[in-house]
Amino acid sequence: MEDKKALGQCLLLDGVVFTFLILSFAVAILQPTEEQLLNLSMVSGVTFGTLIVTMALAYGLIHFKIKTVGYLLFSPPKIDDSAHHVSWFKTFWGVQLTVAFVVACIVGIRVTDFSLYELFDEQGMMGARRIFSSLFTPNFDILPRAVLAIVETIFMAFMATVLAVPVAFVLSFLCAKNIMGDHPVAFALYGTLRTVLNVTRSIEPLIWAIVFSVWVGIGPFAGMLALLLHSVASLAKNFSELAEGISEGPIEAIRATGATPVQVVWFAVVPQIVLPYTAFTIYRWDINVRMATIIGLVGGGGIGTMLIQYQGQAQWNEVGCLVIVIAVVVWLMDTASAYIREAIK
Amino acid sequence: MSDTILKVEKLEKTYDNGVQALKGVSFDVKRGEFLVIIGLSGSGKSTLLRCLNNLHQPTGGRVTFNGEDITVVKGSKARSIRSKIGMIFQHFNLIPRYSVFKNALSGSLSRAGTLKSLMGIYNEEDKKRALDYLDLVGIKEKAYIRADQLSGGQQQRVAIARALTQNPEILLADEPVASLDPATCHTVMDYLKKVNRELGLTVICNLHFLSLVRQYADRVIALKGGELVYEGDPSHIDEKWFEEIYGEGAKEVHIN
Repeated sequence: MEDKKALGQCLLLDGVVFTFLILSFAVAILQPTEEQLLNLSMVSGVTFGTLIVTMALAYGLIHFKIKTVGYLLFSPPKIDDSAHHVSWFKTFWGVQLTVAFVVACIVGIRVTDFSLYELFDEQGMMGARRIFSSLFTPNFDILPRAVLAIVETIFMAFMATVLAVPVAFVLSFLCAKNIMGDHPVAFALYGTLRTVLNVTRSIEPLIWAIVFSVWVGIGPFAGMLALLLHSVASLAKNFSELAEGISEGPIEAIRATGATPVQVVWFAVVPQIVLPYTAFTIYRWDINVRMATIIGLVGGGGIGTMLIQYQGQAQWNEVGCLVIVIAVVVWLMDTASAYIREAIK
Repeated sequence: MSDTILKVEKLEKTYDNGVQALKGVSFDVKRGEFLVIIGLSGSGKSTLLRCLNNLHQPTGGRVTFNGEDITVVKGSKARSIRSKIGMIFQHFNLIPRYSVFKNALSGSLSRAGTLKSLMGIYNEEDKKRALDYLDLVGIKEKAYIRADQLSGGQQQRVAIARALTQNPEILLADEPVASLDPATCHTVMDYLKKVNRELGLTVICNLHFLSLVRQYADRVIALKGGELVYEGDPSHIDEKWFEEIYGEGAKEVHIN
């Protein structure tokens, strides 16, 4: 392969696949103790050593025109000189993929302690039956309080969305490559913002809720802040991708009239994005309502907090009532947001 | 008047990716003339127009507008130059969700002031001007229809009205009829000619079709591979020149 980058990707993928296979077999045969596995420097040394050897092996295979999975995925498209058809299970990549998948399933079963015996154990089944029978006979006495709590949850989600939109709106322009242009300062700002937002988004709102509940105290405010932060990061990404997909023509035309950069954004960019932005915002509110429920579990307020309290006291009839309230609201929000998004398309 | 409104000297443009679109093009534009630029796709016609109003920054040479050097200008200076040079495009580039009137009015943005224009406040004079020019291109009755409801030819006429609302001295037209059918094509060209004749506006227009060139141009220049290969009267372009400009074996297509 002439393309260095594609070759690198190809070798890395094949190397990882081969390393996984070799190490799985090694563990199965050698049966190392837990202490040996916890020795990080030894484990990483062996892993990287194997990776380098297997990447060399993959290079050899490709050199002899044997098509590995990596080659198949990353090689630049070209006319196949071996024009005859070969069944996939007779090819190298077919066998490689099958073996890797089977081994991954076996390892998965071992690692997750998968056990049908546990699942159908007499005593365990009894416990499950007790919980389900309580859940299906919900105690509706707590319904008024549950409704109040879910209203709190809905407004947590609403405030998080409303406050996130203007911030994300501004950030989305700063994170759109086509709007920022290729000026070095603009590019530096673009790169920094993108990184910060990616990191923020990759941390779950659940974690942010824990941070904020220490910061501002347990309650809906902490939950709202957690959702707000996550919404800003997600919306800014969604918005900036939309802004990157707009057509350049109107921008050029408005620039040609002698308009200022702010006018260009307002007259050429904003009209193109206002509806898709609205659709994403409604969708985000919908997601936030669902997330707000979960966030309540770690002290973010709303119906989640109520749920964790009753669950802690094993009051399953009350939990049943809360589950119904959550399900109804989530279903309603989901349907409503789908209808609205369809309508403004 | 036949004085020079725009003087282009040894204009060069090399893009960041190394493509040399213009290799030292020189010509003059006289006030009030209808100048047509012809050449194959990729010969540098579009780049040339965009270098004239600073949408692209030239990398060499000089552009003089009314005796003033505008080769490399930035910020408010660049915007003031652009406001005096209107431009229309192959794909019209209107704002699809805005009304025809609002599109035409956006030609006055450079005068309106940023804050006022964001609030949607325009002065009466500009509003009247936008309507007048919509009337001039025969589309006033559609002023309050959304721009994306119009046909291609109608959209291009709105684009002309938008450019006129700027009150420009020069109108640049980048392949104004290339995405229109032959009949509509002539309507749009006729309006450009009308603007040129009645308002005395200098028009610089990129075109593909030689038959249109002969019909509308006062003068023609031809680009090939970023260089100027012909300058003169449109009627003097004979078969030999045609092959020179468009390459061996090219056949002329007539549209009527």
